[in-house]
Amino acid sequence: MSSVRQNLHNATFWPRAADRKIAFIFCALTSLSILLPSDAASKSLLVFAGAASKPPTEEIAKLFGQKNGLPVRVTFGGSGFVLSQMKLARQGDVYFPGSSDFMEKAKREALVFPETERIVAYLIPAINVPRGNPRHIRSLKDLLKPGIRLAIADPETVCVGTYAVEVIEKNLDLKERERLRKNLVNTVESCEKTANVISLKVVDAVIGWEVFQHWDPERIETIFLKPEEVPRIGYIPAAVSSFTSDRALAEKFVQFLISVEAKSIFMKYGYLISLEEAKKYTLPSTLAGGEYSLPAAWRRRPR
Amino acid sequence: MNFRKTTVYAALVLFLFYAVLILSLLTFFEGKGFLQVLLAPDTLFSIRLSVVAATIAMLLAVAIGLPAAYALSRASFPGKKLVDTFLELPMIMSPIALGAALLIFFNTPFGAIIQEKGILFVFEFPGIVLAQFATIAGLATRLMKTALDEISPRYEAVARSLGSSAWGAFWKITFPLAFRGLISAMILCWAKAVGEFGATVTLAGTMAFKTETMPIAIFMALASADIRKTIILILILAGIGLTALYAVRFAAKTPQIL
Repeated sequence: MSSVRQNLHNATFWPRAADRKIAFIFCALTSLSILLPSDAASKSLLVFAGAASKPPTEEIAKLFGQKNGLPVRVTFGGSGFVLSQMKLARQGDVYFPGSSDFMEKAKREALVFPETERIVAYLIPAINVPRGNPRHIRSLKDLLKPGIRLAIADPETVCVGTYAVEVIEKNLDLKERERLRKNLVNTVESCEKTANVISLKVVDAVIGWEVFQHWDPERIETIFLKPEEVPRIGYIPAAVSSFTSDRALAEKFVQFLISVEAKSIFMKYGYLISLEEAKKYTLPSTLAGGEYSLPAAWRRRPR
Repeated sequence: MNFRKTTVYAALVLFLFYAVLILSLLTFFEGKGFLQVLLAPDTLFSIRLSVVAATIAMLLAVAIGLPAAYALSRASFPGKKLVDTFLELPMIMSPIALGAALLIFFNTPFGAIIQEKGILFVFEFPGIVLAQFATIAGLATRLMKTALDEISPRYEAVARSLGSSAWGAFWKITFPLAFRGLISAMILCWAKAVGEFGATVTLAGTMAFKTETMPIAIFMALASADIRKTIILILILAGIGLTALYAVRFAAKTPQIL
């Protein structure tokens, strides 16, 4: 009787040795990844940046970090998305959106110090098509041709989408706008995706920024609008966040963004760094920056 | 503290963890705008779009996943382990990567032919269904395989020995026995499809009144720095999802997996 009890006591549902070995290896590997050292530093600079300036900003952040001996952490995303992140996280040293529209919003909500705002680069709205221009799009009116697949960025949330609507509204009459909207297959959620859909030939054309052709020169070609068709010149501003814990350092970074050194990096990536240069593609009277109030027809719901 | 009590406390801690997340949304919540956002045409469209697309994606995942799960549970064939491993691909690959892979596929000559001669997926409604299907098909098959594994193949063998066909044995014996598990798998996959964001936004875009599902509407509200609307939309999505899931649990009483 006692031997039966002993056997029952020894009985177990634990897996066999081979399965135990697999479990052990899995646990060991996952634990090891937790124990790996992290690069947590005591002092750093946190920048919330719009993805419209990703390639040069990464290079400039690295350079600033090397010069000042501290890491510069840059969070990229849609200008509005990173503004939400900054607002909810209540941290960040510099706000660096893709265009003036979201900077105006940040200023209204006191999320940045307005007096610290500086203009870093200028952007010109234009038509972008796949390299070689297979659908022979030469002007804004060509986007009305039946069968053209057009995309723009979401006009309510992405600055380049707002500019696209402004171009459409200011240059096309009601009937033309209706024809264009028939060709508008969808909107995309970010500035960089507006360029990507051309790189991937998902659509025949987008209304984006002139600079897109420098982001992916092998696949993207820019068709410039006529000077009188450009409603506004976009610009990329930067300002010190009101959540900064080191305002002097944050201001130093903003100043560095407009230094000759940083501007040459922006130039390398095809950005326009002076208003005079930008005005070559517009009328002399065309204004830079500001805000555009989106017509009700382009809104999800009236305000 | 005894063993049973400890386990119950662990369950309550998990419940509280999620409940606190939902309650924290209320710190930014303003009641007066709630009905306005809920009843707005774009919100109602997004809710309907999410539910319809998720239901179609789930039905497609079950249609292909159930036979596949049966094969993986009962049969042995060359490459079975490889197929089994690939079912976990959507869980390892991020949804954005999955969406990007689909977008790139439609850029290949074969993908372009499908787009031109067959169905337009990119930036269209079928794109939402395809993105959701890609995300849940592997999971659906894995969960249904688990449900079928629970049923001993001997029942089917006995039915076959008594003259039943292979299909008859499955339909009359295994399927009813595994029914609760299969239903649970379907519910879980439907819920995952309703909440799917990354693959959908990458393949189908964000256009309001066309491809803006509820998770995309939440992202777009956050992207326009409209935190009030974001929170209301999150509460609406959580409310719909939890009500649907709780109702099914209530009806099913003792589900196996869920």
